Amino acid sequence: MLEDWDDEQLLAALGEAIKARAAVPSWFVQTGKNAYAWHNIDAELAQLTYDSRTDADAMAVARLETASIRALTFTSAHLSIELEVADGSLLGQVVPPQAGTLETHTKAGMTISPVEEAGFFAVRPIPPGPFLLRFGTTDGAYVMTGWITL
Amino acid sequence: MGLRASRIRVPGLAGHHDPAAAALCTRAAAGDQGAWDDIVERYAPMVWSICTRFRLSDRDLEDVAQNVWLLLVEQLGKLPEPAALAGWLAATTRRECLRVATASRRPEPLEPPAAAVTGEVVSMAERNAALRAALAELPASCQSLMDMLVSDPPYSYAAISTALGIPVECIGPQRARCLERIRESSALLGLADIGGNRPEGDPGA
Repeated sequence: MLEDWDDEQLLAALGEAIKARAAVPSWFVQTGKNAYAWHNIDAELAQLTYDSRTDADAMAVARLETASIRALTFTSAHLSIELEVADGSLLGQVVPPQAGTLETHTKAGMTISPVEEAGFFAVRPIPPGPFLLRFGTTDGAYVMTGWITL
Repeated sequence: MGLRASRIRVPGLAGHHDPAAAALCTRAAAGDQGAWDDIVERYAPMVWSICTRFRLSDRDLEDVAQNVWLLLVEQLGKLPEPAALAGWLAATTRRECLRVATASRRPEPLEPPAAAVTGEVVSMAERNAALRAALAELPASCQSLMDMLVSDPPYSYAAISTALGIPVECIGPQRARCLERIRESSALLGLADIGGNRPEGDPGA
């Protein structure tokens, strides 16, 4: 392909390539580089399988209610993490119900809290920025959500 | 966050055979942070350009970036076709942008048909990444000259001569030598397989 290009064409292509890179904010690139911190972290990445914000029925209800509830479900092969935001708290449930530990990761750091046998947990206060939850079962298996911004 | 990323398939976004991407994936999967940084440097411009089609807030842009790259970290070593990394990233980015845009209750559809993420976006990203890699291999003197030659608005040869300390009459020959080195760069190996869309101004296009 390149062999067919004359100098003007090659130079124009270089210009496009340089311009495309220059347009990207440095924080955007840094966010990508930071993601490597999750390499080799022992955890299955659960998929977001439900978000009330993208659910037409839930949205219809929300329009009728003044206090709308945001609900999210992350599903992995072994368990689900259900989240609900209401009245300024973030409540969660591990399904099937089981005890374990819950890590809340934010850009500032990480906090750990125990999860009782019923599988309920609460994250307080709701992280103001992006956060990610990693649940550890009593068997030593881990499941984590993707980054969540509420 | 989204659906099982490895199964994402968007017609026309399959990507191409990019041996450099496959090699970087292998090294990053083995624990090489430098290789990961190279992957991000290569493809962040494509991820960014796709995001800009969706008119997202900075907050949503960060959400997309975090999740796209987290998904890739998780898939390193498991990608069915690491040489088609750009296509996988394009499809994943598009999916994440749609998710975030929908959750943000944007009133109107976000991806105008004219700005659809197509195979051409992926081809261009692969070509741009290879060209930037080729440029990075050049001596600093060549890099500075190329930067000034492609700048918009363009510098005059007189200005280039002053800035780089080379006589005006040497700029033309130097330019030809630098471009020749780019043509011969190993960074462009495999690019022959990548889509053949030529840059603007090509009479044969």
